[in-house]
Amino acid sequence: MSDGLANALFVLTIATYVVASALFLRFLVRGKGDVGKVGPRLIGLGAVLHAAHICIASLVLRVCPVEGIHFPMSVASMLMCVAYVLARRRLRVEVAGAFIAPLALTSLLAWRFVGGGAEPGDGIKSFILPFHVTLNLFGIAMFGLAFSSAALYLVQERLVKQKRIDGVSRRLPPLDALDRAEHRFLLAGFPLLTIGIITGTVWARRVEMGATADVLRAAFGYVTWLVIAGVLFLRAAVGWRGRRAAYGTIAGFGFAVLVLVLYLVRKDPPHPTATISTAAETVAETASVTR
Amino acid sequence: MSLPVVVVGVSHKTAPVDVRERFAAGAEVLPEILARLTSRPELDEAMFLSTCNRVEVIALAKTGGAPDDAMRAASRAIREALREHVGASSVDEMGDWLYEKNGEEAVRHVFRVAASLDSMVLGEPQILGQVKDAYDAAVAAGALRSHLSRCVHRAFTVAKRVRSETQLGAGLVSISSVAVDLARRIFGDLRHSTVLLVGAGEMAEQAAKSLGKDAKAIRVCNRSFERAATLAASFGGTAAPLEQLEGELAISDVVLASTSSKSYVVQRDLVKRVMKQRKGKTLFFVDIAVPRNVEPEVHQLDNVYVYDVDDLEHEVAENMKARHNEISAAELIVDTELGEWSSWARGLNVSPTVVALRAKTRGVLVAELERSLASRLKHLGEGDRAALNQMIESATNKLLHSATTRLKQAASSNDGGELVRALQHLFDLPEGGQGEEGRTTEPPPAEPSEKRLPH
Repeated sequence: MSDGLANALFVLTIATYVVASALFLRFLVRGKGDVGKVGPRLIGLGAVLHAAHICIASLVLRVCPVEGIHFPMSVASMLMCVAYVLARRRLRVEVAGAFIAPLALTSLLAWRFVGGGAEPGDGIKSFILPFHVTLNLFGIAMFGLAFSSAALYLVQERLVKQKRIDGVSRRLPPLDALDRAEHRFLLAGFPLLTIGIITGTVWARRVEMGATADVLRAAFGYVTWLVIAGVLFLRAAVGWRGRRAAYGTIAGFGFAVLVLVLYLVRKDPPHPTATISTAAETVAETASVTR
Repeated sequence: MSLPVVVVGVSHKTAPVDVRERFAAGAEVLPEILARLTSRPELDEAMFLSTCNRVEVIALAKTGGAPDDAMRAASRAIREALREHVGASSVDEMGDWLYEKNGEEAVRHVFRVAASLDSMVLGEPQILGQVKDAYDAAVAAGALRSHLSRCVHRAFTVAKRVRSETQLGAGLVSISSVAVDLARRIFGDLRHSTVLLVGAGEMAEQAAKSLGKDAKAIRVCNRSFERAATLAASFGGTAAPLEQLEGELAISDVVLASTSSKSYVVQRDLVKRVMKQRKGKTLFFVDIAVPRNVEPEVHQLDNVYVYDVDDLEHEVAENMKARHNEISAAELIVDTELGEWSSWARGLNVSPTVVALRAKTRGVLVAELERSLASRLKHLGEGDRAALNQMIESATNKLLHSATTRLKQAASSNDGGELVRALQHLFDLPEGGQGEEGRTTEPPPAEPSEKRLPH
């Protein structure tokens, strides 16, 4: 019953995101439809269905939604949609839904169809892991929004530079609004990412880091932090804003996505370090002797 | 024959601005002009429309005989009223500037004016508001009461349809409005932006009126500090000499350049330095000067945008072109609405005959019934008598239904004059129903089958 409900919610969420994406695309390219009202509402509806799906599916699979990678990725995209719905009016980035809806859709499809089975075992789980994952989730949700604003900025900036100010340009938010939104989303996401990186570093001490994929994941995680930190620092110090900041934001988000993809496609679950492994075995033996 | 509507006036197409100025009338003198028009026995209703580009009287002639004669008399009356208004020595003095439309063409003209099809700037939205103001003033003065009022109301419908069903009003068509639109495309609203005028000439003043309306602050930088100070004072802004341009650029967001300098006032190196001081904050130049004041290479710098007069004019031309492409669609709406209006108006011509025919038929039947009720049917009670009266009403309606319908159909196609005359002759109805009686101060009561004029 719950399995069927989870599947139904999955399909409904996918359908809502597909319709929202199509609507935004139609508005941007052909200037048709009143995306200002319907589009964000559809994304809001998608987020509600998405949240319901996460609850039901995690109950069915008996998985904590902020452990491993599949569920957290789904949660991150849902949070991104919620943040978009809350911030869109204030920051005048309604049209960013053109990126948010497809991103959420892709993430949800990846949850279902990409990789699987390589979740961390009980031996290396600790209280830090959900904390680390949750903070990174919020951070990535914010970077998703910053990425959407940056991408729209580059389109609008190019159109204004080329003096093609009719059509698509008219449907996009003002340049300064996009630049400001991108900066604010980065500012919101950066502290979360920073704590996420620190907790991740602490947790990584429990895991064997021998494989190239593991090293790459960690390296890309640090590169993401460095790029975002660089974008924010250069903006404050030497006025790197506009196009340069947009490119930096897109690069930072790109590295974050790369980390997620590496997590998604990993074949083997992370192994605990020898010390932790021995300790875990000792605990297990003690338990069996006691029994 | 349509209603005898007459339009006489001057517009940007027939008269230069100094002539139009003489005809123009502010709200304070409007009641006096309307009173002058309504005091004319030749005019039944009248309205006075005065805008920057047009001054015209729209009137309904009072008819007693042939409609053409009535319209000629109304035209003379309007011209005489206008002569008094402008203080001309004779009507002929104004003859070269005045245009005149009569009957259906006058109604078409009113529809086209309200829909901004006859405006100097095609599709501009202000004209509808101006027509509405003129309408309100005429109604308040008692100069509009019935059919002409309906005609103007219909013009509002036409204008709304044209605005909503075509792109005639789409796009911006003035340099300053395009500049404001562009600034908004970059900064959103201008409440947090400072506008800097480089140059303090007439062009700067004009553009600053729209650009500086919503801005946080206005600054003026000019070679002559006195002139800068005068202009700045008129906008509540701050003035600075041209030597301080770099500092002014560093604290401004939108720069409107319009000096008469023969060389670039704003060069690439200067803006590069300024952008460092601004920490990359966006800077937008609107260069409306010819020769240009801003070096074109400035546009290549990051977060700096330069639009010159050609760019703005190109945008204006594109928008105007798009509007011109909509003319045929808008004219089609005018034609459709005019067709419906004319059909309704022609129906008015046969209404007196219909009313007379109904009255006569009912009168005969009621007289016969009363004679019977006084003799053979005098034993009938109140209830039976009421039932017989009701029967007479129904019989009248049914008897005349097809005749009324066909008469109105004929009226909408060829005035139904032949049929009206035939009915008058056959049923001995009073003649002249198409004249004065045809247009009472209130519209005739609607027949069950009559199509009401939609508003």
